Amino acid sequence: MVIEGLGPHGERASAPERVLLLPEDKARARAAGLRVAIVLHTLASDWAKQQLAGIVGTLGDCGVAVIDVVDCGFTPEVQIEALDRLIREAPDAIISLPVANAKVAAAHARVSAAGIKLVLLDNVPTGLLPGKDYVALISADNFGLGKMAAEGLAPHLGEDGEVGVLGYDSDFFATNEREIAFVKWMRINRPRHRLHVARFPSLAEAGATAAAMAKKQPDLKGLFVVWDTPAIAAAAALASAGLSVPIGTVDLGKEAAISLSGGGPIVTIAAQQPFRQGQTAASTTVTALLNRLTPAWVALPGVSVTASNVVESFQTIWRSPAPREVLRQQNLLR
Amino acid sequence: MPATANMDADLQPRRKGRPRTAETAAPSLVEILNLVRTEKATTRQELERESELGRAVVADRLGTLTELGLVDESELGTATGGRAPRLVQFSAHRGSLLVATLDQTALGVGLADLGGKLKMEHHEAADLTQPVSALLDRLITLFRWIVEMQPDAGELWGISISVPGVVTDSGESFFQNATPPVLPGWESFPLVEKLVESFDVPVWLRSSVETMTMGEFHSGAGVGHRAMLFVKVGKRIGAGLVSDGHLFRGAQGAVGLIGSVPVSAGERHGTLETMAGSEAIIREGRQQAERGLSPILAEHLRRGGEITAVEVAQAAHMGDAGAIDILSQSGRMIGQVVATLANMLNPELIVLSGSIAQSNDILLAAAREAIYGASHPLVSRDLQIIRSQMGSSSGLVGAAIVATESLFSPAVLRDWIMAGRPQAHPQFEALRGRLETQTAAVAAVMPPPKA
Repeated sequence: MVIEGLGPHGERASAPERVLLLPEDKARARAAGLRVAIVLHTLASDWAKQQLAGIVGTLGDCGVAVIDVVDCGFTPEVQIEALDRLIREAPDAIISLPVANAKVAAAHARVSAAGIKLVLLDNVPTGLLPGKDYVALISADNFGLGKMAAEGLAPHLGEDGEVGVLGYDSDFFATNEREIAFVKWMRINRPRHRLHVARFPSLAEAGATAAAMAKKQPDLKGLFVVWDTPAIAAAAALASAGLSVPIGTVDLGKEAAISLSGGGPIVTIAAQQPFRQGQTAASTTVTALLNRLTPAWVALPGVSVTASNVVESFQTIWRSPAPREVLRQQNLLR
Repeated sequence: MPATANMDADLQPRRKGRPRTAETAAPSLVEILNLVRTEKATTRQELERESELGRAVVADRLGTLTELGLVDESELGTATGGRAPRLVQFSAHRGSLLVATLDQTALGVGLADLGGKLKMEHHEAADLTQPVSALLDRLITLFRWIVEMQPDAGELWGISISVPGVVTDSGESFFQNATPPVLPGWESFPLVEKLVESFDVPVWLRSSVETMTMGEFHSGAGVGHRAMLFVKVGKRIGAGLVSDGHLFRGAQGAVGLIGSVPVSAGERHGTLETMAGSEAIIREGRQQAERGLSPILAEHLRRGGEITAVEVAQAAHMGDAGAIDILSQSGRMIGQVVATLANMLNPELIVLSGSIAQSNDILLAAAREAIYGASHPLVSRDLQIIRSQMGSSSGLVGAAIVATESLFSPAVLRDWIMAGRPQAHPQFEALRGRLETQTAAVAAVMPPPKA
């Protein structure tokens, strides 16, 4: 496993195997009668659902009760209120995905201050420190995902020309790392392409941001979008402007899988492993609750997905069969 | 007229007639701003008491500082009988600082406010042996990206960089006037000058052990302490000392080079760095794996993996006997040297930092045992020995503190406060003038090629 990026404080990554639970660990956890609450940015996406399934299932294997699962709807205020309410519930640990940076930092710091172990997913508000304010961060190798998407998109870009980068206009560790890595790889390996960066402030505006970019740069040879949902919106906006631009993105959502399998416009995907990430978050939490030292950053490598491995990748990542349309496109239905 | 002449004219004391308001106001402005900034005074009453200035003078200076955007009086404090007083607060967001850490294998960048608080940071792998020009390009790209991502941050006031080597103090200027030869290749490449030209702000450079010590003291384990000893364990081993809240810089800034202290373990002799640093840990790890004394590292080698210090630390964490031996021995040797320092300096707190110390309890435990065992009872009685939680962030925070302490030191602040921005400091204007003259001279000698 090669992890390309560094953690939020420059930490070296640890592999998920570092927090592997042995049968005796599980027995000790079961005997302790532990309680854990989960606070996620959303429960609507497949990514969130799979991650939750990984967390809850693994905690179940260890006899740890999940006492609450909160859907923050991407709203910092909801998250702050939920964390303060959960602190009063006094669970042994809280697993949280911080939906913002500075806005939610103090609320997360209060969790640890109250003696509750805090395990973070995907994002660390600036200023929070591992060991003091939280136990560990569990995330994908987001820098590696950006690089992987660049490597996958490069063969579709021709010798030179304009390439668009659609970033997320929010101070979020995961999307920042992907954007930096994509741009870095392109500058080094495809110096003849000119990069144009635009950032969408919210999901609803992703399509419009892509359309505005295409208007300014009608000769786009390719586009990188920092995750799949805005990539689908961007693809639709470009299609309605009569453009067909190869797109690289992160995460194998259902629609992205169909586009990839059907020959575009999405041509390459660097996928996270949400189910495995959920399992890793749960084992890290149990490791910490057994008072063992955990790594500050546990990172999961990405999976490079193209049309040729979309079916098995979908199964590995989502633990469910690929959509029928993908199976049809791949001539797997008789 | 050259910029230096300007500076001389400005620095000439006026001998006759009434002094300018700027001259009389500057010292009290400096004093009041620093009382507010360091939170020694948070209301007008406290300011009057601490500064021993009259109510009218304090009110006048606060008016000026508010106009300059350096002080904010919009919030109310807690009433202690009667009306609640207005809080006088430092506007830390008035300016911002770009900060960076360069070490042998990684590059970190961030943006901090004037209180040294990081608003954003990013770290990536980097090879310090690459040409300086490539390193500078990457640094400028990342700095520009951060500035773009933080449109609401205050005006840029400085760049401060943590570097893996001693930056000696020339004493000529409050910021870096030229690029010091910290690393091979730097003597012939104008890194500092290029940053000044690109961002139009003063640049500071400090050794990583100094910035990490400052960062740990201001935002990490050192908060609330007065005397802290900081030990960084990596390829190099260095130490930093904070005494009575101040970083000790020695005669030239070459403090804490404890990696050069000779040590011995059994038959082997060498410097602390070569015997206990990360390269020694890697070398020993490889040997243990080859001799069959470390099953986990041997397995790692068999699978084509590379032995790094972090690999050895992780193997030790998983219970590998060979790896545990290596780290215990390294911790013991570091502990013996640090114990000598502890007996001399009587710190309240010793913080061990670096990826090996931070990811592993074994090295820390061995170091603790050696330090407590060799310390005078009065020294060890209340001494805490812990590992850093800040990682490379301590270097970023510390770099920001280096810049703010320099910008707001009375002797420096006095010369820019009336302009409201440090770029107006005569020394910086002189540097800018010199760089412009040089650029013009180069352009005159080498005209740009015709298209």
